[in-house]
Amino acid sequence: MRKNKAMIFWFSLPAVLSLLIMFVYPVCRTVLMSFFRVESVTATVADWSFYGLGNYLKIFKSASFMTSMRNMLLIWFVGGIITLALAMLMAVVVTSGIRGKKFFRAVIYLPNIISAVALATMWIQYIFNYDYGMLNNIVQFFGGEKVKWLGTDLKFWSMTGSFIFGSVGYYMLIYISGIEGIPQDLYEAATIDGAGKVAQFTRITLPLLKGVIKTSITFWSINTTTFFLWTKMFSPIDTESSTIVPVIYLYDMVFGGKGITQRDAGAGAAVGVVLTLIIIAVYLVTEKLFKGNDLEY
Amino acid sequence: MKMKKLMALLLAAVMVLAMLAGCSSSGGNETKAPESNPPASQPGTEESKAPEGGDKKYEGVELTMWSMWSSGEPQANVIEEAKAAFEAETGAKINIEFKGRDVNKVLAASLEAQDNIDIIEDDYKRIGTVYNKFTYDLTDMAKAVNYDSFSYKCLNDQSVEWAGYLNAIAEQPQVGGIFYDKDAFTKAGITAEPKTWAEFLDVCQKLKDAGVAPIAQDSAYCDFAFYHQLVRHLGEAKIEELTMNGGWSGTAAEKAADEIIDLINKGYFVDGAPDEFPSSENKIGFGQAAMIVCANYVTAEVNNNTQTQVNWGLFNYPAVDGGADNASAYAGANSLAITSYSKNPQAAFDFIIFLTTGEWDQKMADTAAQIPADSRNTAPAVLNGTVETLLAADKPMTWCAGISANPDVKDTIKSMCTELFEGKYATGADFCAALDALYK
Repeated sequence: MRKNKAMIFWFSLPAVLSLLIMFVYPVCRTVLMSFFRVESVTATVADWSFYGLGNYLKIFKSASFMTSMRNMLLIWFVGGIITLALAMLMAVVVTSGIRGKKFFRAVIYLPNIISAVALATMWIQYIFNYDYGMLNNIVQFFGGEKVKWLGTDLKFWSMTGSFIFGSVGYYMLIYISGIEGIPQDLYEAATIDGAGKVAQFTRITLPLLKGVIKTSITFWSINTTTFFLWTKMFSPIDTESSTIVPVIYLYDMVFGGKGITQRDAGAGAAVGVVLTLIIIAVYLVTEKLFKGNDLEY
Repeated sequence: MKMKKLMALLLAAVMVLAMLAGCSSSGGNETKAPESNPPASQPGTEESKAPEGGDKKYEGVELTMWSMWSSGEPQANVIEEAKAAFEAETGAKINIEFKGRDVNKVLAASLEAQDNIDIIEDDYKRIGTVYNKFTYDLTDMAKAVNYDSFSYKCLNDQSVEWAGYLNAIAEQPQVGGIFYDKDAFTKAGITAEPKTWAEFLDVCQKLKDAGVAPIAQDSAYCDFAFYHQLVRHLGEAKIEELTMNGGWSGTAAEKAADEIIDLINKGYFVDGAPDEFPSSENKIGFGQAAMIVCANYVTAEVNNNTQTQVNWGLFNYPAVDGGADNASAYAGANSLAITSYSKNPQAAFDFIIFLTTGEWDQKMADTAAQIPADSRNTAPAVLNGTVETLLAADKPMTWCAGISANPDVKDTIKSMCTELFEGKYATGADFCAALDALYK
């Protein structure tokens, strides 16, 4: 037994060391950095000066940061409801025994295997384009006037819509795997008892998918807090308030933007800590809300 | 069992070593750097390695350059060719790492860590303000080659103002203003470039009458376009002051915004403007619009995007009545600099001059459709007049530095500039009141 313990120690040592050096150390350093004035992310600790909660006060007083938080919460809440609802709907349809299940599953998942850069370019240049975009062609076909989908009023929603389009397939697959794990006997018994498809969905599928829904909400929260590339694609030259999200704000603070050379790694670290706390909070809330989901069937 | 234990130990040791090796900073190429990094003031000749047995000037000398281009880009190809020619001529060996545009995200950290880099390539403002603690003083070396006689004074002066000494050699200068399609001007019977706002309005009307939309505008550049108008009325220092503290209402910023609103009301912007980049600028290539406020790269962009050869011209942004700064023009550059801890600064400088003058600079200008860094060279046809504009420029206008000075509101101001061009504000006073509301 003693020998086994030694074996366990030596075999786990590299993994533990990797975790400590590559994960725990950066996290601790970032948390610590958020309480100091630090210009460069690689500045030595000797160059740091204690700032208390100054960085946190600074970011929460910043109009740009608050706008970015508002945008992120909208993507999380509105985008989350639409994405997860659509994914659930499609998962239910695809698993309902329709013909061509594999085809539909592949088509809906397709946007996930296309590079997000290509996907965003397609939306910007071919769908939202003012002159020859697909949406304005449809609007004009029905006698309407062309719409500025990428104007300041609609840009955020256009970006969110494109992001949702690229995300639905991923969550659909998660739900499909959850639904396929539910024993068919339950549905057969419910059918014999006279339950319709809607009742089966609300009384069997949804309750038994609680754990999967909890996981998908956590994944969605992580996806939206790390939302970056779509903003960069929809604001190609420089950051705009209609598309800014906290990670972009963090990026601009730490590295500077176009024509901007000021850097504030301390404030960037504070943004990182706030985002981490948000993800933890969402995780804890979903844990609480979906408590007692460990059903066995 | 003993064998098992030994194997486990070995495995653990190998993994830890591999991990630590992966984490080490720069392997065997580390340079011994000075303890502090004051800008060196002496020419680097003494510090350059002497030839080692060969008869070429820099036999045995090895340089490392971090480029802001990506491999395969026209600029990168010219740099590669110039490098090969320099190596053949001098015997030096140059390792070029093409890091792409995001080089600026890693350069500061790498310079702080004193990674093995001799030459860096980036925007000259970043070189002057962010990397200046780690750059070599090029003053004496530049004097030795009479650099002032073939470079752009405004860029050199700006570099000295930022860093306190000449720390960057311009490689790809940029100039901004109003780029226009000469053929559209001819079609509209316009014979002279407008110098004042009144003349500019007259040009717009003539173009409109001739059936060409006068101005193209992409939303990505709305802040840059409006910044010109603001600079003319207020000057950059005043704009920065207002951006930091508010108080826009009651200033000439109202008049500047009113003039933009006037352009919108008169129908001088092309249909769809402000459009998503690059849709609106492309309309110049399609013959639907005639002018755009941008930097010189717009000419190559439009020609490439639309596969046309627009007959480009450039004039400085028009002067306004009672303006605070009626002369300045945007100028900037991608530049090259030498690290303060480089072991071979003179060899690095010689390569920089080799690349930015004569044959190779001309090739860079022609291949990448850029303004030549060597003012004795010729600008490509699409950039006619740019060398003269840069040579004549006194103090360059920055890229929106005034309205970007306050990081807390800069993104909102940028979006508000787009809203201004979208016609969301009825008057300049409304626009300025909305700006002031950001500070409450």
